[in-house]
Amino acid sequence: MCENNHQTSNHPSHFENQNDSNEIPTHVELKWDEFQEKIRGFRFFDPHIHMVSRTTDDYQNMAQAGIVAVIEPAFWVGQPRTGLSTFKDYYSSLVGWERFRSSQFGIKHYCTIGLNSREANNERLADEVMEILPLYIYKEGVVGIGEIGFDDQTELEEKYYRLQLELAKEAKLPVQIHTPHRDKKRGTERSMSIALEHGLDPSFVVVDHNNEETVKSVLDQGFYAAFTIYPFTKMGNKRMVSIVEEYGAEKIMINSSADWGISDPLAIPKTAALMVSRGISHDVIRKVTYENAIEAFAKSGQIHVSDFENGLSSDPSDKFHGNSVLRGGQQPKRNQNSLFID
Amino acid sequence: MISIVASMFPSYSSILYQVLQDHTTQEEIQWLDSIPKTDSLALMTSFVKTPRFIQKTTIQKTSQNLIPEIPGFQVEHWNLVRLSRVWLLTFVSDFPKDQCIQTIETLFDTAELNELVALFSALPLLPFPEVWLPKATDAVRSNMGFVFDAIAIQNPFPFQYFSELAWNQLVLKTIFNAKPIELIYGLIERKNLNLAFSTIDFVKERWAAGRDVPANVWQLVSLYVSESEISLIERLFLSEKEEDQIAASLICSESNWNSFQSLFIKYPKYKEEIQKRKWDWSKLSIVFK
Repeated sequence: MCENNHQTSNHPSHFENQNDSNEIPTHVELKWDEFQEKIRGFRFFDPHIHMVSRTTDDYQNMAQAGIVAVIEPAFWVGQPRTGLSTFKDYYSSLVGWERFRSSQFGIKHYCTIGLNSREANNERLADEVMEILPLYIYKEGVVGIGEIGFDDQTELEEKYYRLQLELAKEAKLPVQIHTPHRDKKRGTERSMSIALEHGLDPSFVVVDHNNEETVKSVLDQGFYAAFTIYPFTKMGNKRMVSIVEEYGAEKIMINSSADWGISDPLAIPKTAALMVSRGISHDVIRKVTYENAIEAFAKSGQIHVSDFENGLSSDPSDKFHGNSVLRGGQQPKRNQNSLFID
Repeated sequence: MISIVASMFPSYSSILYQVLQDHTTQEEIQWLDSIPKTDSLALMTSFVKTPRFIQKTTIQKTSQNLIPEIPGFQVEHWNLVRLSRVWLLTFVSDFPKDQCIQTIETLFDTAELNELVALFSALPLLPFPEVWLPKATDAVRSNMGFVFDAIAIQNPFPFQYFSELAWNQLVLKTIFNAKPIELIYGLIERKNLNLAFSTIDFVKERWAAGRDVPANVWQLVSLYVSESEISLIERLFLSEKEEDQIAASLICSESNWNSFQSLFIKYPKYKEEIQKRKWDWSKLSIVFK
């Protein structure tokens, strides 16, 4: 695939199918003060967010909004990688630098590791990546294989999806499935039936990016159904509230998938605020914004709630002696209302 | 630079194994025993998987001179995962040179933070130090606090193998990151003129910005400060912090410059205590930690 960069159809952007949806961006739905009041006291867990493409300001805002832990699935960085080294560096950043940066702002960072579907189409490189995956999936804080599955639904995508399902089985790790943007319904069904064919326990599998068309089948077959609140292309949070009203909270979880596109790292707290407004019970909100994700991914044996439920155990600036993200003695939170930058 | 002979390595394994035996449960030591020590892939995946089988118990007091051939190497306050990983690496040391280097390189390439800590902690025990030297100097550039600490704090590798330039960078970055310089192994032995100049520049920059520096940093400067810098020392004497005043007094007590002796007469508060050995640089580090 990297040999044919000019074939743009192989690399559709996250903005594709923009016209398919008339969703209003989530960030204009509530007044800020109103929003903060509604989410007071909640803790949130975002099981799908690509922090590698987000800024430190996002971490600060997420922490302030009650997000205590995140899972960062390995995915596509916006352009195809051309060699194994860049995969290694990327995976290493997920378990290394990004996790460290997150901890500086009091957020526990986990990840899922996998070869993404778009890049599975470069067979030579995909084979090389498969060789090094075992050195990553057993690392501390790796809570699953992901995100894997289908994009264009090619034969090569299926080949590497199957190989990674086997790896997940062997390592007894949960799987995080990316379902395709195009031909989603068929792609979702195909992903699930292959997972079952490989003997995976559906309670170890999180099917992501669901919508009104896929949710019933996913839940009926015993899988976890994750929903991505992502403006324009995926699920809007008003629609999400309706889904929770219809299907309840069992095995449903919400994420932001925030990445390098127009997306919102506060998608979960904002959706929670909307659910509060609509009178959904706090127990249900807690399940879909916190507990269910933990229940699903804790099967990896790598999530210990005590690590984050009351915030990370120590003051980040003490713990790391002001190193790095907090350069030369910076404080974890600067005063954004001041003109002075000391 | 001293080249270490490969045949010495089994003894390192057994020394570390003894510490492991003292701290692990039966189940944990059984897992460590079960790892095939001559299989490169098995050693690599076990290195990665260690936290799934070994608890992060902190190792309490051990001998400060654990491996007599490598002064400064110690495992006190490490956790068991780190020690287990370093122990596994001693078996990689027994491989033929190419295989040993390739295995360690692969682990470096794919390492996460705690694995990097173990790898850098193991450097003093590994053969072919010249191969690891660039990685060690890179680690000093790391923005990840634990990685930086693994090479800079209580690790004899930089003392033994770093060039003066790399050594000075390590010390300066330790100061910059507000970490304890007294925990750098060999700090006093490797004091040098260039480091003193850079430290003075750094202090001036900090002061210009209205920031300060820890008082024990002045020990790097003490023997090298020229008479033209006397205003810096006078400013230290005028500091509101007691540790700064003691540092200024220590500098004057170590200096042969007449102007410094005159300054000492002007600010004699700590002179007697220094003569009675109540204060030296190490005590300054401990008391004003």
